[in-house]
Order: sequence, then C-alpha cells, then structure tokens
Amino acid sequence: MIHPLPPSLKGKRANKKEETRMDWRRVFTFAVLMTLGLFLVHVQAAEKVGWVGPVYKELSDSLMKGFKEYYKRTYGKDIEITFVRPGGWPVCVDKVRAWKGKPDADVFLGAGAPAFEVLEKEGYLVPYKPKDWDKIPDKWGGMKVKDEKFMWTCFAPWIVTNLYNERVLKALKLPVPKTWKDLLNPIYREYIVQTLPYASGTQHEVIEIHLQSFGEKEGWAYNRLLAAQLARFSTGSVDTTHMVSRGEVPIGIAQPQMNAMSARADGYPVRDLLPDKTILVPEAVGLLKNAPNEANAKIFLDWLFSTEGQKYVLEGRYFPARTDIKFSVWEKEGVAMAKHAKEALGVDSFWDLKVGFINYDLELATKRWDEVNRYYEMEIYRKWRELKSSLFLIEEVEGEIEAAKKKGVDVSKADAKIKEARKLFEYDGAYAQARLAASEARTLLVASTR
Amino acid sequence: MSRGNLFISIILWAVLLLFVIYPLSFLIIESLKIAGTNQYGLQNYIDFFKDPYYLKTFWNTLLLGILVLITTTLFGLPLAYILARYRLKGKLIFTALILLPIVLPAYAGAFALIVLFGKMGTVNLLLMDWGVISKPINFIFGLHGLVFIQALHLLPFIVLSLSAGFTDIDPSLEEAAEVEGAGGFRRFLTVTLPLCSPNYLAGAVIVFLWPFTDWLTPLIFGVQDLLPSTAYINIAYHFTDMHRKYMGIVSVVISSLICVGIFLASKSWVERKKYTALSKGTTLEGRIIQPNPWIKLSSYFYMFLIGVLVLLIPVVLGLSAFSRRWVLQPFPTFWTLDNFKLIFLETPLLLKNSFLFSLIALIFGVVFGLPAAYLITRTKVPGKDTLDFIITLMLAFPGIAVGVSYLLAFWEGIPLATHWIIMPLSLFVRRLPYFLRMAHASYLQLDISLEEASEVSGASKLRTFFNISLPLLLKGIFVGLVMFFIMAFQEISTAIFLYRGGWETLPIGIYLNWHRGMEFGIAGAMAFLMIVIIFILLLIVARIGGGILGAAWGSSGGRY
Repeated sequence: MIHPLPPSLKGKRANKKEETRMDWRRVFTFAVLMTLGLFLVHVQAAEKVGWVGPVYKELSDSLMKGFKEYYKRTYGKDIEITFVRPGGWPVCVDKVRAWKGKPDADVFLGAGAPAFEVLEKEGYLVPYKPKDWDKIPDKWGGMKVKDEKFMWTCFAPWIVTNLYNERVLKALKLPVPKTWKDLLNPIYREYIVQTLPYASGTQHEVIEIHLQSFGEKEGWAYNRLLAAQLARFSTGSVDTTHMVSRGEVPIGIAQPQMNAMSARADGYPVRDLLPDKTILVPEAVGLLKNAPNEANAKIFLDWLFSTEGQKYVLEGRYFPARTDIKFSVWEKEGVAMAKHAKEALGVDSFWDLKVGFINYDLELATKRWDEVNRYYEMEIYRKWRELKSSLFLIEEVEGEIEAAKKKGVDVSKADAKIKEARKLFEYDGAYAQARLAASEARTLLVASTR
Repeated sequence: MSRGNLFISIILWAVLLLFVIYPLSFLIIESLKIAGTNQYGLQNYIDFFKDPYYLKTFWNTLLLGILVLITTTLFGLPLAYILARYRLKGKLIFTALILLPIVLPAYAGAFALIVLFGKMGTVNLLLMDWGVISKPINFIFGLHGLVFIQALHLLPFIVLSLSAGFTDIDPSLEEAAEVEGAGGFRRFLTVTLPLCSPNYLAGAVIVFLWPFTDWLTPLIFGVQDLLPSTAYINIAYHFTDMHRKYMGIVSVVISSLICVGIFLASKSWVERKKYTALSKGTTLEGRIIQPNPWIKLSSYFYMFLIGVLVLLIPVVLGLSAFSRRWVLQPFPTFWTLDNFKLIFLETPLLLKNSFLFSLIALIFGVVFGLPAAYLITRTKVPGKDTLDFIITLMLAFPGIAVGVSYLLAFWEGIPLATHWIIMPLSLFVRRLPYFLRMAHASYLQLDISLEEASEVSGASKLRTFFNISLPLLLKGIFVGLVMFFIMAFQEISTAIFLYRGGWETLPIGIYLNWHRGMEFGIAGAMAFLMIVIIFILLLIVARIGGGILGAAWGSSGGRY
C-alpha cells in the first residue's frame, strides 16, 4: 500500500524530519490546551435545578421558560434547568432506580399515582408540601389526587382516553368505536395502534384498567384479542398521537386526554374518545431523596402550584390542577390555550367534568407495576406474529364450523375442540397449543362431514 | 527511528486507548457480566442463542441484509454498467445525483417516503380520490418497505463500486474474449463480472452489513424484531433489569462481531484477488461503448426511473419544508417560510451545535489524522500497522456500539458524558478513518514516478516536494476535511445515545420533530437545509477532487 522511499531520498530527509517533529509537538500542545480550555469555559458555579420525568416537550418547554423568568425576577439570578426524559413513566422510574439514591435530578416531574407509589415504596422520595397544596383536591371521583404524606401532588390531571382521526374513519366508512369491546370488532382490524406498557405509563394504566375492570384473566384475554387488531406497535404515546394525527392508523389506544386538545390546536382532525371504563391520572410531582439542589427544587414546586405556574402548565398543553381557576377568566387574561382547553373539555375547569371511573385499586397496581409491563412484553409483544396466526386460524375454523352447522352437520366434537382452542389462546396464552387444537378441531369437523 | 516519531506514536496510541479501546472493552466486559451475581461468563451469549426471540431477531436481520443486497444488486448492476460503459449525455449530473442518498441520514428518506407512500400519503389519497381503491394500500410499513428504503439508501454503494470495477477492467481482456468468440452476454458473465467481483464485494459488504447497524429506520416502519432495534430498546429503556440490558449489549457485540468479521474477510479477499495489477492497456475512462439507439433509449429510461426515485426524497422534503401541516392532502396547500424562520431565529441552537460539534470533531480529526497518516505512510515505527488496522476497523463498527460503549465508559470514573465535549469526541471517533483514508488515498495517487520525473528534469528534492507532492497531497487532505465534516454533520446513531438537553444537533432535531413531536414541516425544513448544506459541500469536493473521492470510496471504502 505504501510507496517505499527511494534510497536516494532518504539521506536528505533527516533535516526535514527535525523540523516536522517540532511542528507536531506544537500541534499536540495546542490540541491538549484547547481540549482543556473547552472544559474550563463551562465550569461555572450557577443556580441549578434538575427534572426527570415523562412530561411532553411542550410542557417542559413552557415550564422552563416560565420558571426561568420567575427565578430571575424573584432572585435576580439565572437558573440553569436540566431535564432528563428517558421515556415513558416506567422508563423514568427505572432511571431513578438506576441512580441508586444518588439522583442526577431533583424533581420527578410527571407520571401518575402508581409510578409515585412505586418510587415512594422503594424509598426514592421525600415529603414536601408545596405552598398552595390546599388548592388541589384530595380525591376526585373516588380516585386519589394527592398523597396525604406529601410524597406527591397532582399538578395536571387528565383522564385516560383513546384517540381517533375523524376524517380517516369517515373516509373508511367506519363508525366511532365507543367501548373497549367495540374495538374487538373485525372491522377495526389493522386500524388500531398502541404502544408497550413499558414505553408509556398511559398504556400501562390502560392495561391496569382492563385487568381491574374485566378481571385479571379476562383482562389479559382482552389484551391478546386487541393485539390481533393492531396495525403495529408504536414506540410511545407521542408516536401514537402522531400516527393517528397523520392518519397512518385511524385509532390510537392509551392517550392522555390533553393530546387530542393539543393536536386539534395544531389543526389535526382528531378527537378523544372517553372509553366506557377509564380512570383519572393525577399527573404529579415529587421531590427526590438526596436531591442535589433541594432548595431550588422546593422553589420550583411552590411556583408550579401558584396561579402563574399553573398558567404555564396550561400553555404547555396540560390541564391545570388548581380548583380556583376558570378557563374563561384566563382566556380574557390572554392565556392562549385556555380557549382550546374549554373547547376540549366543554367545561370551565377540569374539576367540573362529570365522569365515572372504575373502582381503581392503587395498591394492587403498585404491587404488580413491573410484572404487568414484563408480562405484556414477553407474552404479547414478543409473540405478536405467533399470536395473530393462532387467532386467525381459530377464527377460520370457527367460521367453517358455523358453515357446517348450517348444513345440518353434527359439529359437537369439533365445537368442543375449538372452544378448547380459544380457551388455550385467550386464558393461557398458549398460542402454539391453541393452533394445534384448532387444527384438530378442523380434522374432527372434516371427519364428521363425511 | 527518531524520538519524535516515537513520541507521536505514543500520543496516538494513548488517544486510541482512551477513546476507542477503553470504551469498546466496556462493551465486551458488560456483555460477559451475569445479572444478579458478581460473576462473569458466557451465559448471556448462550441465553441469546437459546432465546427464541433474540434468535428470531438475528435471523430476521440476516434475511433483511440478504434482501437488501439482492435488491440493490438487481437495480444497481444495470445502472453501473450504463454509467461506466455507454457514451451518454448527462452522466456527470446523474452520478452526482445518485450520491445524494448516501449523504442524507437514512431516516430522513424514510420520513419523505411515509409522506408519499404512507397509508394516508399522496399516492393512496390520489388513488382513493380517483376511486381506484376504497381502502388504503400498505405500500411501505413492514419488511417490504424497509427493504425498499434501505435499498434506495444503499444503492449508490453498489453503483459506485461496480462502475469503478467496470471502468478499471483492462479493455484488452474483454476484446480478447470477443476475438475468441464470446460475444455479448456470455462475455459479460464470464469475463466482465468476475473481473469486477472485488469491487462489487467492497460495496456489497457495506450494503449487507447496514441492517446490522441501522436501528432507527426499522422502528419508524414498525419492524422491531431486528438485532440493532432490539438492542436499542433494551439498552435505551432499561436501567435496572440487568439481564435485559446485558442481552442488549450482547446484541450490540454480536452485530459488531458480524460487521467486523465480514468486513475483514472481504478485505482480505479483495486484496488477494485484485486483478487490476495485471492491466496494461487501461485508460482513465475504461472501455466506453457507443450504444445503439434502442439501448440508448432504454438506458435513458432506466436512468430516469432511478433518478425519479432518488429525487423523490429531496423533493418531498423540500415541499414539506415550505409548507405547514401537509397531512391528509395529496399535496401541500399552505405555503410558508415559518419553518425556516423557526430554525434560524428561534432555535438556532441546533444549527450552531451541528456546526460547532462537527468542526471540533474535524479539528480532533486533523490533529489526530495528519500525524497518523504521516506515521503510517512515511515511518517504520513499530505497531504502526496495528494502529492503521484499528483505525480502519472503525469503518465497520456500528454507531450503536460506539454510542453504548461511550455511555458505559464515560459515565462514572471518567465522567466525560456529562459534558458536551462528548458529542464532538464521539463524532471524531466514529468518523476516525475518514480523514486518514483520504490522506491514504491521496498518497496512493501520488505516484512516486511523478516525483522521480521531476527530479530527472532537474528539480531539487525540496522543490519537488513543494511543487509536486504537496499540492497533490493538499487536494486529498482538503477533500478529506470536507468528507469528514459531512459525515460528522449527518451522524445520528451514536449522537442520539449521548445527547442531553441543549446538545441537540440538526439530525437529532429532525428525529425529535418528526418522531416525538408533531411538526413534520420543521423536520422537513431541517432535512432540506441539511441537503442544501451537504450538497454544496459535495459540489466543492466533486470540483476539487472527484478522482480522489472515487478512489477512496469506489475500491474498498465505505463509511459505516
């Protein structure tokens, strides 16, 4: 590869080499100094506060802007805010766990009750009662809105909804699915998208809703059947919003209520869908144990629950949590999102909504937090193709049995077998065995038609 | 051997040790850890090949690699032949055009295709409007779409390497075959193709290995069960489930081993099989044929087709860059400059970061690359071949491997990852071989006979160096600088692991605005801006040193 120097060149090169050596030294010294210099420029003692959490970009941007202004105005100093958003609630919880009690942030910003209960149980939170704590309700519709031990307090409540693109559903001539069971209708097959419970707390809560309202067995059976309806899995709840807004998939499962408001404010033809069984998510904040900037974190928490902080919550496209605010008043004060919030909710304050919730067992949800995520991923997500091929075969054979029955054939044996196949599929999640049972049912059916 | 050379060598080795070997060794060590214990062992690897899911991702990735390779070869082979052999007008512009997909991040193309071919994309909407279909057709989501976008992205590698091969073939060999009676297709199969197989292999390796490194595009298309995507999900989203994390790292190591293994195997094969050394009568252009009108017409048609496909991406990105909310309409209806206003006025940070990080990486690259090139080509310092070898290996390493190893190595202990300097540093390491390769290539082009000719004509050696060697080298170095900058500028797969708030670059901004936000217009404008910046740089390169570029890319090069 390399051309050897002809011998004639070698002699005279010695001098040149001496020169180049000096040059290289200078270059290296320069490089080393420059690298050090780059480090020094940024080492400056400044006021800091760090957030970790799953809140959307619009909210974190809005809160950053508002709190920086407030801090400058009140303390005459700049504050540097770092925001770590590794993913959805479970991912954020996992991040805090990985810090092993030496957090790289001060405040856990966002996520609902079970995430905070998990953090509290594992000892990562310390109590703090923000100044306007009393302005937040204790309970609403039977659901906890703040922690009586001051471990966490809701700053932006919402309800678990689904999302649909009205224009696309219309183009496809499909009715709007009203209930969870409606979504299992074959007409919606390949028109639904959702994510993994580990990637999104909302999705986790949706599965928890199914498990608690349908019963554990039926809840998992429902999720297996729903998985077969999906066009694909998205990478997170925002990805779901995005796909529905663009019309790639018309129906999105597990969406925070305000996503529809946010997308509509941007001009997308989407609407939220309050399913028959749902819960409140008290999107909350909590102070982390061993927070490196505890004093500033407390200032932030106080500000977040002040009227000013709550306005930035609304501008960040989340619903404010204080009971003493009215969207119509804020609209006159020039809060741009107040109009959209009023339109989206149809009432003047979030707490004026009339919604019934399921009987939500927070303790149970906390206890099986990790297990639900794991089970869904291992047994449904990773076996998605297997699951679909198994169910589709069962459906085929069921159709054949139905057709044979109409012809007057005695299908009792095949019918018993296919029921067994369905049971294996829905309750045991034994996809291969269910397939086998379905094939056997088909053989029995063929035998009885002869 | 002088002390100076040794000094340089030690410094270079120190840099390699700290920024390449040290972090990458973390990857190996972590992959050997057994979750829940303090022990080390091969258990994770055994688990990997026993677990049906991971095994499935492995075979899927292999299948994708093969499919992409077949697709690019089928479409690339005729194109390469046309470009190398036929006398046609507009070949030069077309060659520049076909380079475009290489320099764009692959996922930017993916977004453009979704706008065009998505379920509610332009094509489906038009077909539904015209009443041809009542339900949208799934053109791209799934494996077929993934093969299509990756093939489109990688087509230039096959075309460039094959057409370099066709050009390099000694015309006398083909003429000999014709004289012996092997005409047309038979000659092509028995003489031409075998002769350019080393060139083909160089390009094919890059194409085949791409699915082992690209984790982002599959996620966009909803195909998760692939090795790098699974690795990404396991590593980026899991912090306490150690077994999962280790399995993710095992996936990265296995991808890396496959990449490095196949890369090295092909390299040694290519070096053994170089036929061009035999050639005597070859010209710079190779063998050029005046095609008959029919062939000419179909060649133009074929070039036009590929050209349309390649141009689709910048056109769609351009349209969305100047429009807002181009959704559920076949074509944009609302035209605006707001997207650019936002990029330049409200968030100039991304643009600034991109330029700053790439420039600092470039400075690192030059400070490291110049002495390294000097050391490797002009001295006999012990270990210089190993140095060259390690640097070249970085071509094959997946970006995810660099990103993950940096996170593992520079978090505790040496906490570089908490400072923004990690961004240019990782870019520098990821694109390490680029500058060196260009310098190498220009050294290779600097034929010793030119210097000898100068000396024979009476010029002194010093004068020869300044008048002959230096100008020729400078050109290569400059091209190296620009190429390094381009490749650093468009890097995402490493950067996305390391960025924190405020360190976002333009490619990360495209990803965030599309994938995590709602604003395709902004993402489109960012991508369009990148195309413009990179295209200008490419034009500079093409003007100054097209030949050098071809030499470095066409033969055994590659960028991943």
